[in-house]
Amino acid sequence: MPFDPVAYAIPVFVALIVGELLWVRARGQPQRYEWQDTGISLAFGIGSTVAGAITGGLTVAMLVWIHQQGPLSIGWAWWAWPLCFVLDDLAYYWFHRMAHRVRWFWASHVNHHSSQHYNLSTALRQTWTGFIAVSFVFRWPLAALGFEPGMIAVCAGFNLIYQFWIHTEAIDRMPRWFEAVMNTPSHHRVHHAVNARYLDRNYAGVFIVWDKLFGTFTPEDHEDRIHYGIVRQLGSFNLLYAVFHEWIGIARDVWQAPWRHKFSYIWREPGWSHDGSRETSDMIRERWSRRETGDS
Amino acid sequence: MDSELLQLGGSLVAVLLLVGLTWLLGFRQQARLESPEEAAELIRLAPGGFEPVAVALDAKGRAAIARDRQGRLLVLVPHGNHFVARPLPEDCRPANQDGTLHISCEGRPLTLALGPAAGDWTTADSAVN
Repeated sequence: MPFDPVAYAIPVFVALIVGELLWVRARGQPQRYEWQDTGISLAFGIGSTVAGAITGGLTVAMLVWIHQQGPLSIGWAWWAWPLCFVLDDLAYYWFHRMAHRVRWFWASHVNHHSSQHYNLSTALRQTWTGFIAVSFVFRWPLAALGFEPGMIAVCAGFNLIYQFWIHTEAIDRMPRWFEAVMNTPSHHRVHHAVNARYLDRNYAGVFIVWDKLFGTFTPEDHEDRIHYGIVRQLGSFNLLYAVFHEWIGIARDVWQAPWRHKFSYIWREPGWSHDGSRETSDMIRERWSRRETGDS
Repeated sequence: MDSELLQLGGSLVAVLLLVGLTWLLGFRQQARLESPEEAAELIRLAPGGFEPVAVALDAKGRAAIARDRQGRLLVLVPHGNHFVARPLPEDCRPANQDGTLHISCEGRPLTLALGPAAGDWTTADSAVN
């Protein structure tokens, strides 16, 4: 296995969570954390580490194989590192966008969104089933372009580390130049919101410019109080249910749907139904928009 | 392998300490609604859309019930220190017992202390307007 920067960052994550706990308590904001929710989020984090240890070798082996088939080999040149980091973040943007727009990927990624809290422990709420969802394919183009698999893995690790600190309400806004280019707590709060106007926005990992470029950016508006979680809130602190609920939902829907609609419950967006009995995020936003404009 | 197991063991200890610290610092308060307006804001986020025309809060703010123009009912149930919106099935009608509303149609039974207003929620459309 290549060098894993995330393993070295874990003690820092723990220290920062303790710092945030003390900070919000000192400010008298007891609703910002909840001990069972924190326990579930951290259990997700540990489980994802174990899942990564089990499947990581195979994921890297596939990258190596693709790298070997490609016509280019960039090697370990110094300039390849920043280029790989930026392109890896672009790959992350598309993975993340698909993770919200294709139910198969969402079944895995929903784990990260199922807390009604938004604090640093939420950042560690990582999926156990990313390998099953084949999320790793989004990094294959980098290997095909000639980047070293070890370099891709390290860049992906630093990408994940960057995203830790943006999961907080303790920071309002960063300097304007930073907000313009980088993903920040403000931008990412929007991403975790269930408010209709914010659904499926701000997919960025490190650079918010991808959202601005591809038309998925929405700034945070302090007039609209953010509520976090998922459209149909879990309402359970059962860890296994929290991990697998969307996979169970897919299995149930595929089983019950007419034959010609079965596959749609896998590849279409979350909330899609063949009889229109549910709502996708686009439908929710449209309903909200009609209500805002008084057009019923 | 040994270092990975050590790392896993260390992570487990850290998780237990963090959860314990969260509990000790008092992040274990019950959810509480301060006003019908706050409840209405949460209710409007319910899946499928729900525009409340009547909202009633439990006396201690531990839950709420709402009705829309179609006569559908929805409850806000506590989950940790937040609330979760749950629409009630069409055939579900709460029972009033001395000013306390009992709802046991699905999930965990819920009680709301509403006082004399509890009677307004036992029929299909009595609380509209």
